[in-house]
Amino acid sequence: MLISEKNHRMNRNKEILYSIINFLNQYFFSFIFSTTFILVILSGLFLGIGIEQSTASRQIFFNVSPWPIYLLLSVLTGLLVFGVIRHGSLWAIGKPFNDWRINIPWRVQNTVRLGVMQDKVRRDKFASVMHWCISSSIIVLTFVTAQVAIEDDTPLHFLNGNYYLFFSFYGDLFGLIGLIGVSMALYRRYYDDFHRIRWDERVEDHLILWGLFIILISGFFVESYRISITELENFPEWAKWSFVSYVLAQFNGIFDFSEELLLNMHTISWWIHVLVVFFWLTLIVFTKLDHFLFAPINAFLLRTDSPGRLSRIENIEEQEVFGVGQIQDFNWKQLFELDACVRCGRCTEVCPANLAGQPLSPMHLIQDLKSHFNEVAPLVQEAGNNGDDVRAVASRSMVGEVIKEETLWACRTCGACVQECPVMIEHVPSIVDMRRFLVMDEAKIPQTAQAALENLEMRGHPWKGTALERTTWMEGLGDVPIFDGTQEFLYWVGCSGSLVERNLPITKKVFSLIQASGTSFGVLGQEETCNGDPARRLGNEYLYQILAEQLIDTFKQKNVQKVITNCPHCFNTFKNEYPQFDGKFEVLHHTQFLEQAINDGKLEPKKSVDLDITYHDSCYLGRINNEYDAPRNILKSIPGLNIIEMDRTMSKGLCCGAGGGNMWQEEIGARRVNHVRSEEAIDTGADELISNCPFCIQMFEDGIPSVEPNEDGRIKPFDIAEVLYHSIDSSQEDN
Amino acid sequence: MHFVICAKQIPDPDTPPSAFKIDETKNEVVPAPGISPVLSQFDGIAAEAALRIKEKVGDVKITVISLGKESAQAAIKQVLAMGADEGLLLEDDAFENGDHYTTALVLSEAIKKLGDVDAVFCGRQAADWDMGQVGLGIAQLLEMPCAIIGKDVDISDGKMTVQRVLLDGFETVEMPLPAVVTVSNELGEPRYPKLQQIMQAAKKTVNKWSLADFENLEATQVGEQGRKLKLEKLFIPASDSEVEIIEGESAQEQASALVSRLKDAKIL
Repeated sequence: MLISEKNHRMNRNKEILYSIINFLNQYFFSFIFSTTFILVILSGLFLGIGIEQSTASRQIFFNVSPWPIYLLLSVLTGLLVFGVIRHGSLWAIGKPFNDWRINIPWRVQNTVRLGVMQDKVRRDKFASVMHWCISSSIIVLTFVTAQVAIEDDTPLHFLNGNYYLFFSFYGDLFGLIGLIGVSMALYRRYYDDFHRIRWDERVEDHLILWGLFIILISGFFVESYRISITELENFPEWAKWSFVSYVLAQFNGIFDFSEELLLNMHTISWWIHVLVVFFWLTLIVFTKLDHFLFAPINAFLLRTDSPGRLSRIENIEEQEVFGVGQIQDFNWKQLFELDACVRCGRCTEVCPANLAGQPLSPMHLIQDLKSHFNEVAPLVQEAGNNGDDVRAVASRSMVGEVIKEETLWACRTCGACVQECPVMIEHVPSIVDMRRFLVMDEAKIPQTAQAALENLEMRGHPWKGTALERTTWMEGLGDVPIFDGTQEFLYWVGCSGSLVERNLPITKKVFSLIQASGTSFGVLGQEETCNGDPARRLGNEYLYQILAEQLIDTFKQKNVQKVITNCPHCFNTFKNEYPQFDGKFEVLHHTQFLEQAINDGKLEPKKSVDLDITYHDSCYLGRINNEYDAPRNILKSIPGLNIIEMDRTMSKGLCCGAGGGNMWQEEIGARRVNHVRSEEAIDTGADELISNCPFCIQMFEDGIPSVEPNEDGRIKPFDIAEVLYHSIDSSQEDN
Repeated sequence: MHFVICAKQIPDPDTPPSAFKIDETKNEVVPAPGISPVLSQFDGIAAEAALRIKEKVGDVKITVISLGKESAQAAIKQVLAMGADEGLLLEDDAFENGDHYTTALVLSEAIKKLGDVDAVFCGRQAADWDMGQVGLGIAQLLEMPCAIIGKDVDISDGKMTVQRVLLDGFETVEMPLPAVVTVSNELGEPRYPKLQQIMQAAKKTVNKWSLADFENLEATQVGEQGRKLKLEKLFIPASDSEVEIIEGESAQEQASALVSRLKDAKIL
């Protein structure tokens, strides 16, 4: 599924539509606020109009009897209970997940923000408006129906007078809003260009949509017949409040139906309405509609620590299985979120591997796991109950057959799927868990990645065959201070910063800039070793733990407190992952340090750099560590520099293709990710492509010439430190 | 069946050229600081060959032997993690500074002492000195048949079949067991060990034999004293290279200028 956004160029009509949608998305902050807001404003207006106290009311359950509703309701409740117990008992085959007990206030906040207020849904503006219309309509109309039931079957009576008129009004309003939402959904499902929601289309998708359509339409018809019969002539002033049905009732008037016919039509449409409602509600148990329950719960279960932190395998040497090889090796949260997936395709739409036509679609991965789970979980449960071998029940191996090895290796761990998922599924940790099984349990790993891992084991860095030493970059820099515990900062160069030719100038410039800022710092030189990040991303948790523990020891021995890193991957590892091993240090990426130095006046970009540049957010600084501003502030501080953003930028930025250990893998698929991203950079027409990560720079050095063979005026990749260096007054460099 | 894999630990061939130093007064390689020695890559491939046969045949015990210092345990453990059953380190001050002959002598005595060995697997050459003599030496001293530079090794019906790499193709040879084979990189990459195996290997004790364990060997036969090869001088060859940019108006002109320069230099 190759998706080129160019195919999605909107025509003019669409542009107008989308500008309205943009407006609504921006100003209709969220589901709960806007729904409440509308109701409050309306009731205020209503009271403000100051109409006379009305005696309006109507006969509840006019022309029909309520018993079928209660019968159906009890069946539905039974089904819902059955559904929850069935699901729940299957999730229980998973491993324990105890994190949900920590950070409860944060989790509650997530539930409200991501579950109720639907923050993630709103990342797609069209869907934001559509989903708001549908969900608020369903909630308000359920509330409307509940009031009818209370009025009819409890001693409480309140559906009369002015409230009855208001009730009629907002009932119709939200019915109409619901229809608008359903129309938008119908447009997407049947008329829009090839759309992600059709990548895995099922019968239930049509049932849900048309069911809702019929419910809303039939609801209006039922009301219109009642109005025709009871209100149109006698109480036209009341009828107008049900403004949609009122219009429909006028049409009934045109045809001059007999009262008997109207009564019959009322009965028929009421039955259709009620039966479809209950049919639709039962879909909650059997289809993706369950997301209205599972999405807020999954928001509660969402991690509260950094998305850049992979789980630690405790007591790794005592494990029977390393990583996740079978469905029951996942923890129950990972199983739960399989059920939350609604197949919206947002994850796949932004997945760099998928964009390049490589064999990974996060949505299909989750769906494949889900159907495997549905097939195998009952067997696992049964085997567990009978005391049989639970590892022998699956007829197909999950890792290898259900989920192909190349699918797992294509993941960049860039987090774009996790970022977009509106039901808060975390794909990346599950993918890495399965990689762990492949690498540690089965020793199955792509040849080139294996070479990188072996090199890590033997030589402490992933760059097999490098002719450089860890100290080569120091040549020509004079006295390079070695960190001895007395300096404030450790400048961590990293393997890529010292052992890959292209990155040496970057390292030199970061060094010179730190020096020019007058900061007390030192480097480790020959004593640097890999911090283990590639091993962890490639699934060799054992090797990662060995490397991490060694390095944490070294840091502690040398009294390291603050670290400046060249590379966002080292940054992420030190900042988010070392605390798991009791290595707590203050960590800055070089862009953060340099921004601070500029703010403090220690560095002053004076020389004008008259260039058009575009800025590429590396995944591990941007999306995963939420640092979009520091690098942009540096760029803005450089006189003459003109920043052109790419279409995909900031949290929607596209990976360069190197993440998740793909720096050391051969790519399988139609294209390479770095070619896709290089094209996007070339399309800006900028002179330079600025990034902050040695991997990104290497990927672009390789990708740009591949997609643009003509050297004249071709965009060139540089690190942000290289641009800043040019702008710093040369007299400072000698300090 | 019982296989033996001979594994050597060598200075890392991936040492950056700038870190590779030689002490010319002692005729010795100076170990590069911070760079650990590694298993010679061809010996890993020899292990892969033996393990593939073990997977096919089943009932095979594999012993990995290394002649070297205490640090060579790491190389032995690496092969154990790949799937070998037992490790044996031949370590003695008297063994040090030997040559290919003394190495083959001690290894062959060890294999003799193990007794029931059916096949010996060596790398085609150690990736440090690149002499490629030890495998053949062991075969000679044990009076076993030997095939060198194999790219495919198989054992069935008491015979070893080796497909050998030649300059212009391959040849297949068949040898009765016990036999020695030296294995080349064409066979394929050594396997990546499973974590379970790595941890099992870490727990295994490596047996150690010193000179005293060999009744047939005297200190004068092994190590520096037993050398048959005298090292005259060890040095890094000076490589002077000149670069000439061939000028020309067009690509054709440059190409014909290049051809005439190559002809002058007698390369074409």
